[in-house]
Amino acid sequence: MKNKNTIKLNKTISRRFLFLSLLKASVIGTISWRLFDLQLIENQKYEKLSDNNQFDFHAITPERGKILDRKMRLIAGNEDAFHLILNWNEDLNTDDIIHKISKVIKLEQNDISNFKNKMNVIDTSIPQKIVITKKLSKKDLSRLVIRSVEFPEISIFMSKRRVYPQGNMVGHITGYIGEISNKDNNYSHIKISGIKVGKRGLEKFFENELTGKYGRKRNEVTAKGFVIASHVYEKTKPGKDIQISLDMDLQAFASKRLERGNFKIQYLNTYKNNSNSFSYDGKKYLYKDKNNKIVFPNSGSLMVMDIVSGEILCSVSSPGFDPNIFSNELQAEEWNILKKNTRSPFLNRSMSGVYPPGSTIKMAVALAALESGLIDFKTKFFCSGSRKLGNREFHCWADDGHGQLNLLEAIEQSCDVYFYELGLKVGINKISQMMKKLGLGQYYDLEIDDKAKGVVPNKEWKFKRDGSRWSLGETLNASIGQGYILTTPLQLVTMASRIASNGLNITPTFTIGKNKNGFESLNINKQHLDYIKKAMERVVTGKKGTAKNYKIGSKKFEMAGKTGTVQVVRISKAEREEGVVKNEDREWKKRDHALFVGYAPANNPKYAISVVVEHGGSGSSVAAPIARDVFKHLFDIKQTG
Amino acid sequence: MNYKNEFSSESVLFSFLLKFLRINWLIIFCILILGFIGVISLYSAAGGSWDPWAKNHFIRLIFGCILLFGIALTPTYLFKKMSVLAFFLGLLTLIWVKFFGSGDVPRWITVGGINFQPSEFMKLGLILILARYFEYLPTIRIGNLFPYIIPLFLILIPGFLVISQPDLGTGLTIILLGLAILFFVGISIKFVIICSVLLVSSVPIIWQQLYEYQKNRILVFLNPEIDKLGSGYQIIQSKIAIGSGGVFGKGYLLGSQSKLNYLPEKHTDFIFTLISEEFGFLGSMSIVFIFCLLIGVILRISYKTSSIFSKIVAFGVAFLIFLYLSLNIGMVCGLLPVVGAPLPLISYGGTSLLTILIAAGLVLSINIHEKKYS
Repeated sequence: MKNKNTIKLNKTISRRFLFLSLLKASVIGTISWRLFDLQLIENQKYEKLSDNNQFDFHAITPERGKILDRKMRLIAGNEDAFHLILNWNEDLNTDDIIHKISKVIKLEQNDISNFKNKMNVIDTSIPQKIVITKKLSKKDLSRLVIRSVEFPEISIFMSKRRVYPQGNMVGHITGYIGEISNKDNNYSHIKISGIKVGKRGLEKFFENELTGKYGRKRNEVTAKGFVIASHVYEKTKPGKDIQISLDMDLQAFASKRLERGNFKIQYLNTYKNNSNSFSYDGKKYLYKDKNNKIVFPNSGSLMVMDIVSGEILCSVSSPGFDPNIFSNELQAEEWNILKKNTRSPFLNRSMSGVYPPGSTIKMAVALAALESGLIDFKTKFFCSGSRKLGNREFHCWADDGHGQLNLLEAIEQSCDVYFYELGLKVGINKISQMMKKLGLGQYYDLEIDDKAKGVVPNKEWKFKRDGSRWSLGETLNASIGQGYILTTPLQLVTMASRIASNGLNITPTFTIGKNKNGFESLNINKQHLDYIKKAMERVVTGKKGTAKNYKIGSKKFEMAGKTGTVQVVRISKAEREEGVVKNEDREWKKRDHALFVGYAPANNPKYAISVVVEHGGSGSSVAAPIARDVFKHLFDIKQTG
Repeated sequence: MNYKNEFSSESVLFSFLLKFLRINWLIIFCILILGFIGVISLYSAAGGSWDPWAKNHFIRLIFGCILLFGIALTPTYLFKKMSVLAFFLGLLTLIWVKFFGSGDVPRWITVGGINFQPSEFMKLGLILILARYFEYLPTIRIGNLFPYIIPLFLILIPGFLVISQPDLGTGLTIILLGLAILFFVGISIKFVIICSVLLVSSVPIIWQQLYEYQKNRILVFLNPEIDKLGSGYQIIQSKIAIGSGGVFGKGYLLGSQSKLNYLPEKHTDFIFTLISEEFGFLGSMSIVFIFCLLIGVILRISYKTSSIFSKIVAFGVAFLIFLYLSLNIGMVCGLLPVVGAPLPLISYGGTSLLTILIAAGLVLSINIHEKKYS
């Protein structure tokens, strides 16, 4: 019985044996398939993941190219910067370390608080590098390096810092660099954090040339984030140096001269960093007006252009800002001071500041009239001090009037009534055509992004904007550069050089040699141009010229030009009857703009100039002397006074 | 006297030699190869150093092999007699561990300075007592469930004791091993089906009994991405290591995942990942193949031997090795949740090594001493 059972059991066991063996085989088959799948089919995917684990890819920043002026003077360059970095991990007591470091070198309070802020927001599960300061001096560096044994957890990172040795003199032109934002990231194939790119001005325009080629390196890192080895596998290519047409010597002179205007300089014996914002850029002197009141430096723009090549030699916009502040970590305090400054230091007045051109536009009106054939050199009008149109009276700046005069005299004395008559005769559309021909109301293909188009009004423009018809009164206003018309100093200097070059289509540029092939002609009658130029000479040299007090005094280098005084607020009839309040007695914002456009030497034009002094007063007494002094500097004529 | 003495000693020597020759050398070969792979992998896991693991593993392997030969040359009936004792001794130590065990989780028992994990030995005790029980049982009527009630308790008591340690992996191994033996000796298919239905329906109850970390492991297994840096990290990094090995591997001592410490537990449960990374598909399949060979040889012995006890013991040992292998590799390549199962003979850890070597010794002893079918 037992035997029989045993046999039966054996039979069952054999059956089950087979069944279980099949089960095992299928399990092992599954495992084998899984291994096959992971290691052969999906191998590449996992190899990549493994590489990602193993390697940490980084970009190596090439040295950024320098920006040089036309005489190879440095405008933007690089200097060594040493960053002090903490290799942070969970086990470190950061307060202790900071305390230990501050015993050896002096850490700025700013840096310490920044560091503490960073410590509060970091992801504490991963060890990482945290910057303590980016402004480690060479002296502090050597102090730390000597005692490096005591600070195993810190490391030094060397990089280049962008420096602008000229400071705020040329900040609007160079622009500055800043950390890349997603918006302007062209380097999506590499980690972008910390990469700095040009944000404005030339730094932005020449970004590709200046940057060169980014290299790449990969670090082998452990699961805990420690770097074991580092391989460079794409070398960097340093950026190219860029030479631009500015003349820093002239820029420096012009910037100072514009700021000073007609003010008196008072040097400070001991420079006190007092809170009054007159010394916002750290200058060691103050400006005082006639009444010995401390005043802001003039704000405005001064541009000088080479007439032959269209190259800009000087482009001052005052007040300026120091682009160096963006190379370091921008401090909130500095930023706030700049932002609160009511004179908008970030505005590049030369290219994006718009001003009514005032009388400086009269050459364009005169040319429009001559070219249309409606007047000739002999045409005369009578100025009684005002002109009635309907029931409105349009005044000349000279209350008593200029009497009978021709075009030459009208430009020399800047007679408004004469130009009212011209405007009425020629009409706004022909005037605006000529203005555009001479370079107003348009953008230029310039290396600086900040640009304004300005406004050159005509009938269609008015209708489009307001849906209403153009009135004759508006023509009168436009004829003396008031009303809707708005121009930038860049456009004004271009206009001056187009006239001075006998009607060549000159366009401004910062690139040396860009216009080697010269310019096309604008097809303006040369006789007319000569006549206008002669009138502009008379402005300076004529007995009644508006700038007669500011001659250069050298026949060879004498300048020619046109002054402009722009009303900012309309003078009401009541005010006019009471007697106009003197410019200096008005609130700054309500004072006239002082303008001057011109060129020199008058007999052989080389340079064109435009000067705008915001709320500076009269063009003849404020802007003209600045232009004269800049030309004197340019021609190396000894300054007097 | 002299002659007689000499003869008797000669005959003892002779029978010893005879036994020695009858040892299944293929099993020895498989074990030594796997042990050796273990030593070189641990050398690599330590970044190319004998310390701290490779040296110990080697020494344990040598002592284990001596033990193996000792067991192999011991007649099988002695084990049959000791089986009940072994099981209850195992059960007692499990209870002991529950209250007085060492380690952060009480799994270990310290005897004379050596740490043991009684749950590993329990597997052997279970195999032996089940084999003894079914051989002793006078009649087995297929379809009659009564005789299976006692063995079911024999399986579930140690099983749940171990799970409550908590050691889900080993506990499940014990239960699966026991159930496989019950199935092997012919439990009714109907019963199997009823049991599986009960098991599936009890999943929610078991789920509530699980510890939080065990629940997490299972959840993370189902979707490792939910916890990339936590418990899912192990599975993800392990898969990366295996997958990046390719056909031939990254080369001995050159596995970046293990060298740079991305692999957790690379010397114990995850040693297979290191081998796969450094030796590729060829290396990992070779290991699977050698294990299959070992299992196959043991199954052949089980098939050939005539005694029920020996049959069940050999089958149990083969199934035990199979369970170890499939749980471990299934776990590291992401087919199973991370339950904590060592790869026998290769993973660093004395108890599992010793368990396998003793088990192999039992099989060798069966092969030497038991009658076979012709």
